[in-house]
Amino acid sequence: MIRRVLMVVPLLVGLSLVMFLLLRLAPGDPATAMMSPQAANNPGYVEQTRKNLGLDEPVIVQYGIWLRNLATGDLGTAYSFNNKPVLSLIGERVVATVQLQGAALLLGILIAVPVGIVSATRQYSLWDNSVTVGSFIGLALPGFWLALLLQVWLGVQWGWFPIISTGQADADWAERWKFFVLPITVLALPNIAYFARFMRSSMLEVINQDYVTTARAKGLANRQVLYSHALRNALLPMVTVIGLQLPQIIGGAVIIEQIFAWPGLGLLAWDAISRRDYPVILGITMVTGAVILIVSVLVDLVYVLLDPRVSVAGSANA
Amino acid sequence: MPDQEATLPLPAASTAPREPLAQAETRQRSSVWQRLRQNRLAVGGVVVLVVFYAAAILQPWISTYPYDQLTGGMRNTPPSAEHWMGTDRSGRDVFSRLVKGGQISLAAGFMAVVIVMLIGITLGALAGFFGGWVDQLVMRFTDILLAIPLILLLITSASLFRPSLQTTIVVIGVSSWPGTARLVRGQFLALKGQEFVTAARAMGANPARIMLQHLFPNTLAIIIVQSTIWLSYAIILEASLSYLGLGVQIPTPSWGNMLQDGQRELLFGAWWLTLFPGLAIFLTVLSFNLLGDGLRDAMDPRHQRR
Repeated sequence: MIRRVLMVVPLLVGLSLVMFLLLRLAPGDPATAMMSPQAANNPGYVEQTRKNLGLDEPVIVQYGIWLRNLATGDLGTAYSFNNKPVLSLIGERVVATVQLQGAALLLGILIAVPVGIVSATRQYSLWDNSVTVGSFIGLALPGFWLALLLQVWLGVQWGWFPIISTGQADADWAERWKFFVLPITVLALPNIAYFARFMRSSMLEVINQDYVTTARAKGLANRQVLYSHALRNALLPMVTVIGLQLPQIIGGAVIIEQIFAWPGLGLLAWDAISRRDYPVILGITMVTGAVILIVSVLVDLVYVLLDPRVSVAGSANA
Repeated sequence: MPDQEATLPLPAASTAPREPLAQAETRQRSSVWQRLRQNRLAVGGVVVLVVFYAAAILQPWISTYPYDQLTGGMRNTPPSAEHWMGTDRSGRDVFSRLVKGGQISLAAGFMAVVIVMLIGITLGALAGFFGGWVDQLVMRFTDILLAIPLILLLITSASLFRPSLQTTIVVIGVSSWPGTARLVRGQFLALKGQEFVTAARAMGANPARIMLQHLFPNTLAIIIVQSTIWLSYAIILEASLSYLGLGVQIPTPSWGNMLQDGQRELLFGAWWLTLFPGLAIFLTVLSFNLLGDGLRDAMDPRHQRR
């Protein structure tokens, strides 16, 4: 376990190297990308800008400087976005993303867990079959298509919800919740579908185990067997699944935030990519990478704490 | 269940006469097929996929109009007898574009999955078989790539290089292999300690032969299921990139860029421009998921349909 925690740092350094090389090996120049076409035709000006951004140094030197700054907790300054420090740019945007994604995740779990349990206890019933078909549909609906349809029908034609999120953070909650409805619906739907399917099979697996049969044989009421014996063990694998979904959840933010102009990290990433703002792209990948790696360690840790059969030593070897 | 165990035959290898390997394989395959056929959802998926792929292959004969032909005075017309799915804002026939776009999207998905599988299987096999520093190197690189959200990686690389069909395929293929590599590695790791591998080694088979002749065939079931699931991912990824303007570029149609091209007209009531390509993506992804799920259950009897 300790080895896994310690691995996070070298993995993050590796991650930064991969992203650095990807950005630097790609054709095109961020210096000319941020200028007007007239300015880009002036070689002296371009050269000066490249020098100011530190792009005239060899790639390996640039990487060394970047890494040295990182060690002091400095992710550099943005090329655009008023040359703000990358870290404070990310700080400004992270709340909006956490609010949106957190709500979608929570909603997904709150709906999926009971739905999955009921499905498992009534295997192959009408309810169960509908849930199976429904979750296949939920997983196959392209998020951006659903977002588009909801924007046009519920947003424009019926006028129930705003389709663009500009200014949502300043609104009063009496009005503000409306901004959340459409993006949360789009983001929560695949979560519900995925988690419900998983909850169902996890519950089924537990129900068929010997100790559940034993509990039933002892004459315990069905409810008690299900909710005190089976449910706790069936919930355990859900921790892993939710943790493993994290990269997809963060990735989904990029597209959905762009569609709804949601002022979060995903939209920042999108803007940074289209402006070739290397420090911001690097900064966002580092922060999300750190979160993903730390959560995967935490998931293992929680698993060890909750399930005495999994030993710490065993997980260290895995 | 003691009764049941008593009726089980003794270990087959020692008593039963050995049957030719090819025959045993055929029998296993046909039982997989039989189990799959009983899964109605999976069969439905296969039917949809056969229709879509046939339409893509037979595109020149199915198209009612050339996909890029502009019909003057026929802009944004709703579905009719002449134009089954209407026309787009440039007066092009939506049905013909949908079929051509399907050809592009399905081919792009297929090519991307070929790249994913080639890289994933090769690296996973080498890591699992050789272990040691090869394993460390491959697995740490996988860890790194898996720590970057796939969509973020795709959008970054697609926008750095000039967007096109080829870029889309390569970008999806090169970014998406780590999951497959991990899976194949695990399988090779589990298999290489088994007796038939030791036996092959003792008979002097070299590593390449052991991997290709002995380990790979035993991994095939997992690889087929994984490919099916990745076909659905690749199609949705291509559609997402093209929808964002970073994938296949107009005038070449793909389901994703047809959605992008038609989304503004949706506000003026031209629903046919976004409904049909969206449905096509949805049905393809749904069918691949149903088929992948059915295949997994059919190939692994231990993993019963629940």
